[in-house]
Amino acid sequence: MQPRPNNGLQPVFCTIVPPHVLDKLSQADDPLLADPARRTLEADGARRHHRRVTALAWTPQAARTSAAVPSKPHRTLYDCRHGTDLPGVKVRDEGDDPTRDASVNRAYAGLGATFDLLLTEYGRSSIDGKGLPLVGSVHYDEKYNNAFFDGEQMVFGDGDGEIFLDFTIAIDVIAHELAHGLTQYTANLAYEGQSGALNESVSDVFGSLVKQYSLGQSADQGDWLIGAGLLAPRVSGVALRSMKAPGTAYDDDVLGKDPQPASMDDYVDTDEDNGGVHINSGIPNRAFYLLATALGGNAWERAGRIWFDVLTGGELAQDASFTDFARLTVKAAQQRFGEGDEAEAVLKAWSEVGVPTR
Amino acid sequence: MRIQVSRTGGFAGIARHGEIDTSGRPDASEWEALAEAVLDSSRGGPPAGVPDGFRYRITVGDRTVDCADPRLTQEQRTLISRVLKEGA
Repeated sequence: MQPRPNNGLQPVFCTIVPPHVLDKLSQADDPLLADPARRTLEADGARRHHRRVTALAWTPQAARTSAAVPSKPHRTLYDCRHGTDLPGVKVRDEGDDPTRDASVNRAYAGLGATFDLLLTEYGRSSIDGKGLPLVGSVHYDEKYNNAFFDGEQMVFGDGDGEIFLDFTIAIDVIAHELAHGLTQYTANLAYEGQSGALNESVSDVFGSLVKQYSLGQSADQGDWLIGAGLLAPRVSGVALRSMKAPGTAYDDDVLGKDPQPASMDDYVDTDEDNGGVHINSGIPNRAFYLLATALGGNAWERAGRIWFDVLTGGELAQDASFTDFARLTVKAAQQRFGEGDEAEAVLKAWSEVGVPTR
Repeated sequence: MRIQVSRTGGFAGIARHGEIDTSGRPDASEWEALAEAVLDSSRGGPPAGVPDGFRYRITVGDRTVDCADPRLTQEQRTLISRVLKEGA
């Protein structure tokens, strides 16, 4: 029986109501609809549903009505002044005017854009769902050709100008680092082997989503490149990674050739890089690209939503394999969108990159 | 004394290697002192590291030390930087 609002009837939920309908109802503004749906989902007993419903419950509505969940970011930027002590000297706090340091301002903007996407599209307030302050440090070390997330904050180097430019130049790099925090607070994928490659891929996915979101690009308009604009002029390449065509981003006498595989056929077995987490991420990256472009429209709306659901749904194990993740994306697509284009496109995407979904 | 540094990981996932052989070098004793300091200051097994952080493997003779961004000692930073620059 479908519950109808404002007629005084107590909704009755039979077991034939599919989970994706319960999900939609659990997010309804009217608690008459939402509460029973949430209880039904929770009655499954498994911790995974409670975590998932809790994640879904952080809708913008919850943010508006609950003072405890911020609907604005709280960003603080620091300057390491080319040293390695963290966080460094505070240079810009939330709400402060832009400073004269473009690196600071770019990082500030990139953190804000990531916060916006997470809240507006997925109802999540910051990376922990509770408005966790976002902290970034720029000008770390000297000519430091890197950026990272240290478990508490983002850290950006200036690049050496020969191979890489300032790491705050690329908004997808900023969002990629912040997404490591999102993963840490949710599925906490172990940073090695396939789970590590998934961790890396999730960061590339959110990096691309934030970039496309900030540019107002649909999936077919996006370049699906990671770190485009980061490579110094002398480097022969277009970006650090290509989600569209892993392995083609660069081919340079100093950097070497982009080592990413585009399918399981070319999976790289290595001890380096924690088992090639930045290498084998090409496989799930390409699966996401295929899904997003097959569905069309804005990538964050359906493809991104499915990925977000899996990451925050409570069923993704810390040591998940590509297959584990793929299976959950199929399930998530079915739960959120029913049996239709989305679930079918998910199956097809994984099939194309050679990852089993059974 | 052979000193090798291997750097992997990082946002770009690009590995770099460097190697120095101190024999015959005028600054051999300086290198050796630095290498010994690194071996002395580095305790325990491979560190967990952080996402996108660099990971380093320093080999001095037949002894190996692993370290990772951002928690490097000053000795590790200095040795890594010199070997990767001069021994690439």
